Amino acid sequence: MAIRIIVDLLLVIGAVFALAGTIGVLKMPDTYSRMQASTCIATLGMLGVALGALLYAIFVMHSAGTAVKVALVAGLILATNPVGSHAIAKGAYKSGIRPEKKMEVDDLGRDLYD
Amino acid sequence: MSELVIFAVFLALLAALLMVRVAKGPTAADRMVAGDAADTLICCAMILFSLFSGRGIYLDISIVCAAFGFIDTMLVGRYLEKERGKKDGN
Amino acid sequence: MQKTKFPAVVVTFILCFAFWLLLTWSFAVQELIAGAVVSLAVALFTARFFIHEKAFWLCNPVKLFSGLFFWVCVFPVELVKANVDMARRCFSGCRNINPGIVKVPVDLKSDYGQAALANAITLTPGTITMEVAEEEGQTYYYIHWIDVTKPSGKEAGDAIKGTLEKGLRRVWE
Repeated sequence: MAIRIIVDLLLVIGAVFALAGTIGVLKMPDTYSRMQASTCIATLGMLGVALGALLYAIFVMHSAGTAVKVALVAGLILATNPVGSHAIAKGAYKSGIRPEKKMEVDDLGRDLYD
Repeated sequence: MSELVIFAVFLALLAALLMVRVAKGPTAADRMVAGDAADTLICCAMILFSLFSGRGIYLDISIVCAAFGFIDTMLVGRYLEKERGKKDGN
Repeated sequence: MQKTKFPAVVVTFILCFAFWLLLTWSFAVQELIAGAVVSLAVALFTARFFIHEKAFWLCNPVKLFSGLFFWVCVFPVELVKANVDMARRCFSGCRNINPGIVKVPVDLKSDYGQAALANAITLTPGTITMEVAEEEGQTYYYIHWIDVTKPSGKEAGDAIKGTLEKGLRRVWE
């Protein structure tokens, strides 16, 4: 029974951070801040759900294959998300997308582009 | 037992909310970021639904979903990088 | 383009085969042979892109355990702290943000170390590595920071990646 409570707690943590990330993506004022908020979904939102699912698979279902596959999905997302987010941020800056409100410090624009 | 499917539906609803940003986003980067986040959320929802229904096929689909989301993102990132060169060229 | 080396092929083969075992999760002889053939073909073609430095550096137990310690104990703490901070900003209406791009110096020399540090920085919400530049032998990262509180250079670097870099320096010298 205790394990079920821990699983529920982890799922709630994941859902709360996913909600925070969604609100951030919907309401943040410029493109790069939205990217920052979307990282929230891919890290603790995903990790909370995946850890809960992992514990559930090990202690309730007693199935090693399921646990390994859940861990694989989590590892895959954790390994690939920063690379993709880096590529999008760099591409967006290179294609000329700038926030409406000018950034206070902008070393990249000063040094490399413009 | 049924809390798993409740959380799965909640995550899917969040992914549906993100579609607002996909429809509205002023630039391609906004759309891609929201789409990527929705992809991650759907992966999580599919893990939970697989545990609920006890069918392993959803886990395989989830792995494929995660891998293809990454390829999508890289593709659009590269495309955006080239955009600028085209504008300067002519 | 550099030449394909034998240790690099071995390491790539082991990784591909482990991935195959994880995905199929069956140990029949036919499946094992098919997996070995496919992994060998993939390793022969991709090893020269995958391994650039010493292939067997993970066999050093000190580096292995400091790497494990970093990814299991140091990094998650930073991750949770940054996540809670970001979630608080999101729930309080996304108003108290002050975004900007700062330029910070990085002291890690090895390619893998720099890649790992850039990924760790991007994975913590609130900071995204946007560009890596090299000037006069010193590597610089351009980092988008959601709340710029320190001026560019050493101070911003300590605030963003002080703990991460200290942990990673033990793995990649």
